Amino acid sequence: MKKVLLVDDDVDFCEATKILLESKACEVILAHDGKEGLEKVRVEKPDLVILDVMMPEMNGYDVCVVLKADPELSKIPVILLTAVDQAIFRTTYTPHMGLMTEADDYIAKPVEPTELVSRVENVLNKD
Amino acid sequence: MLIKPSINMLVVENDIAILQRCRELILNEGHKVRTAESVGEALNIIQKQPGDVDIMLLSLELPGWGGMTLINILKKARSEILIVAMSTNCGEEAIEAMRAGAYDCIRKSFTADRFWTKMNRAIEAFRLRHQLDILSRQRQSALSKVRHGENLLAILQSFTDGLVVTDWQTHIVLFNTKAATLFGLTGKNASERPISECIASDELFSLFMRAINSDSSLASLMADEEPVIKIGERALRVHVYPVKNEGGTVIGAAGLFHDVSKISAMDKLRSDFFSMVSHELKSPLSSLLMQISVVLDGLAGELTDKQNDLLGKAKEKTKGMITLVNDILDYRRIEEGKSIQKIERLDLAEILQRTVELMRLSAEEKGIAIKCQIAEKLPSFSGDMSGIEAIFVNLISNAIKYTLKKGTVKVTLDKSGKDVQFKVVDNGIGIPPEDIDRVFEKFHRIKTEETRSIGGSGLGLSIVKGIADAHNGSVHVESKLGKGTTFIVSLPIEE
Ligand SMILES: Nc1ncnc2c1ncn2[C@@H]1O[C@H](COP(=O)(O)OP(=O)(O)O)[C@@H](O)[C@H]1O
Ligand SMILES: [Mg+2]
Repeated sequence: MKKVLLVDDDVDFCEATKILLESKACEVILAHDGKEGLEKVRVEKPDLVILDVMMPEMNGYDVCVVLKADPELSKIPVILLTAVDQAIFRTTYTPHMGLMTEADDYIAKPVEPTELVSRVENVLNKD
Repeated sequence: MLIKPSINMLVVENDIAILQRCRELILNEGHKVRTAESVGEALNIIQKQPGDVDIMLLSLELPGWGGMTLINILKKARSEILIVAMSTNCGEEAIEAMRAGAYDCIRKSFTADRFWTKMNRAIEAFRLRHQLDILSRQRQSALSKVRHGENLLAILQSFTDGLVVTDWQTHIVLFNTKAATLFGLTGKNASERPISECIASDELFSLFMRAINSDSSLASLMADEEPVIKIGERALRVHVYPVKNEGGTVIGAAGLFHDVSKISAMDKLRSDFFSMVSHELKSPLSSLLMQISVVLDGLAGELTDKQNDLLGKAKEKTKGMITLVNDILDYRRIEEGKSIQKIERLDLAEILQRTVELMRLSAEEKGIAIKCQIAEKLPSFSGDMSGIEAIFVNLISNAIKYTLKKGTVKVTLDKSGKDVQFKVVDNGIGIPPEDIDRVFEKFHRIKTEETRSIGGSGLGLSIVKGIADAHNGSVHVESKLGKGTTFIVSLPIEE
């Protein structure tokens, strides 16, 4: 069973998405801000992190940059999820903080549940 | 002003590892460096921050618009930028680049030593050029003579816009009353002093530098640009023109300042509003969609037929709202001229396939089959990913939406002369001849008995047209009422 960490400050979204992914035989752990997310990655060592971009404490971009810079965690795939205008977020990401860290996939919210599942499976089955 | 201590470099390279390496090497030596991964990005930097790039390190192996194109553009428009090429072998392409004006070529497998031997030589060359340039200007007449035309001065004083004139060294030689109030200038503190010391704005300084350093071809490049800069509380729309002597040599620059603080506050309000819409509507909508879908899929317990029916409708309504919000945001981007965010090489076949697969299910539920025909070996195409997706999604979803009975939607992607051609053919309700010219207008929707129950914003086709235009392409429509409709989008491919 694959372990997925979902980091999103929208509790309703988390709850529903958790049910969805659990139906696809994933174990789902939740965190509701960037800092908590980062702590849980370190403790839980998930197989995949799904990160919302706009969050209090620490935003998704920053969490992703930190993860990808940490040799122990950089192998964990990251999917960035955002309700911010899609075209804008594609371009603001790359030069962020001068670092060229890339997420493994980007998904624009709102997302069709079937689409989310297939993108998650895609990333999980890569290795 | 004679010797520039640190050099501003720009590295243009799509191989991230090499880009990073160059960046580190340059930073370690205390120079400033910016990076771009494509010609488009590089041009953006160069055009936005004039005078900010002294030396450009350019890969000759960029996809899309090659590095050679950039060399040719810059040789015409910004000849003061010294270009050092980079390539894997430094073979034919390096010779060609140097013939076009590159100063040197570095192999990509460089060591730090090798890198700096070459770069230091380039830096020396740049400094030398820079000094020669300044010396030759010093021989030219000073602009300060302008001050003696008394009548002229009276006219300038009556302007409601601010005016500041500098000589070629950006020393202020003249300003009018409005400029004095805008910037707090007085005869004492401003005359013959550098503009950067009198008005604190790097952006303004670089506009003056750019006007002074531009030859005529850049001047024409900037002609339709009207930057708005913030100085203190004020927002000013600025035009800076080069001032030339009889011989056509640039001897200074004149800046006109129009106070747009009020308009600018409105713009900010508008743009805040749209980011609010974007986040505050999209977030709850994503929760709604997820919650409804999970329940509909039976993941929260078995549903009765009635519950299933009602929730199914709720899901459709939610998706309708999502489309509406996306349409509004897409449309705003086009209105602001920002429909192209990033030019990159795209695999059109893959994007189309993905889009079709996403829509196939909802089409089949309506009894509509999607047939997709994609030519093999399509030529390479560079464009904006989300823009192209929006074209595909809008035209295919229209074809599905405006076919009421069982039907077929035929989607083809093919090469046609110098274009890639995307075609969507449906056998749906068709468009009345009197409406056909208006379907691309924003908010225009055809109102008949048949279309009454179909939801939509009327923005989709204006978005399609806006994006096609931004890619120098076109959209074409043919339709027979009651028989069906064909939309064709043609997008030019690069040579
Ligand atoms: N494939 C089609 N067949 C028939 N009519 C169409 C088709 N595509 C667009 N139209 C007409 O053009 C109008 C504008 O389309 P669009 O800008 O996409 O807005 P919307 O679909 O949101 O109404 C539609 O309302 C419809 O009347
Ligand atoms: Mg439409």
